[in-house]
Amino acid sequence: MEVKLVDVWHSYDGFTYALKGINLALEGPGVYVLTGPNGSGKTTLLKVVSLMIRPSRGEVVVDGVKFWGLDENERSSLRKSVVYVHDKPILVRGSARYNLELGLRLRGAKVSEDSIGHYIAKYGLKDLEDRPVSRLSAGQAKLISIVRGLLLRPRLLALDEPFTFLDGARASLLVEDLAEIARGGGTVVVATHYMHKGLRDCSKQVIELIDGEVAQREET
Amino acid sequence: MSESILSITLRSLYVSSTAALVAFTLAIALSAILARAPRKRAEMVLGVFEALVGVPTTVIGLFVYMLLYPHGPLGFMRLLYTPIAIVIGQFLVALPMAFTSMFRSFYELKEGVRELVLSLGCSEKHTTKVLLRELAPVLTSSYLLAFSRAIGELGVALIVGGGIEGYTSVLTTAIAVRTSIGDYELAIQIGLILLCITTSLALILKAFGERVLWR
Repeated sequence: MEVKLVDVWHSYDGFTYALKGINLALEGPGVYVLTGPNGSGKTTLLKVVSLMIRPSRGEVVVDGVKFWGLDENERSSLRKSVVYVHDKPILVRGSARYNLELGLRLRGAKVSEDSIGHYIAKYGLKDLEDRPVSRLSAGQAKLISIVRGLLLRPRLLALDEPFTFLDGARASLLVEDLAEIARGGGTVVVATHYMHKGLRDCSKQVIELIDGEVAQREET
Repeated sequence: MSESILSITLRSLYVSSTAALVAFTLAIALSAILARAPRKRAEMVLGVFEALVGVPTTVIGLFVYMLLYPHGPLGFMRLLYTPIAIVIGQFLVALPMAFTSMFRSFYELKEGVRELVLSLGCSEKHTTKVLLRELAPVLTSSYLLAFSRAIGELGVALIVGGGIEGYTSVLTTAIAVRTSIGDYELAIQIGLILLCITTSLALILKAFGERVLWR
């Protein structure tokens, strides 16, 4: 999936801009890493790339089509290829299992036991399956929201600070999965403060944001 | 007393649950509309409703009486001193309670749920479904509060219902009438029934909700 941002500006309040004239192309499969200090605009950029917020100015071009120029049905159709995993996990009432299946249920897709079982085993979530989300730790909640995203097998997966609260072993497993998605033709965008070694090794490009602008782009 | 306590209790349940249901439905509709409004405007409307929660039921009763009085604007409907008049009055009593108890959660959850739905690559039309599920405990409490407020009020039932035995007498008016004629034993019995209804309903719904609805 190719996403191009053309002169993208975004402001939440109409006065201060979180993004200032971003020109960026995520061309082809690979892992793209967004870094930068707090308040540099990483989350906003990630949400613009994930088609979740419409920028105040500029164009978001997805596979050659101006996304925000499409009608609601066409946007919904294209949005199905994109998943965004929040920095602070948003989980709904119910068990961890219910939350894992939520995306699939909403899309009316078949809940594949094999696929869910694979991730549950891989990330050691067996004991959490029936636990109400109110009783999950921060790291467990984070894992559930990440796996929920992985289960949807999107063409573009955006993750905001995915390594926060994760232990080293699970962070490495996640990097493996992200690399696997990229190898399978998917696009992964990760916003992070913490540059996991494995993530740097498998990334295609590291983009540094400072004060809403692209300060540096490094091909790796 | 010719009318049985059971008959008064059933009438009370029917009148108050109907009033609470109408108030609850309107509160959901109002919340859904206002949830789209800017926060400042929504807070202003919420403030008005919060103030209305404290309006004495006698004042609401008087207002409904003026509306339904034979020479009032709705006098031609001949609803005064009927159970429907009590339903209208109790609806007005219950509405601010139903709305204020659900709106803040409605407003605060709405944005998070919308974010979640979009983040999972789904369209905004799925937001309502997820939001209502998330709000189930709040909505249950909201209906219960509206019902408790309706069944426990006296002003409206007395002013626009008149406490007519066999027709508009409800639990609260029956207590008032029995007390006024010195029949304290029956008044206490009816009071206990009222207390049992409100507490047991809350306990049943809470237990049922935690096992089924709110999981």
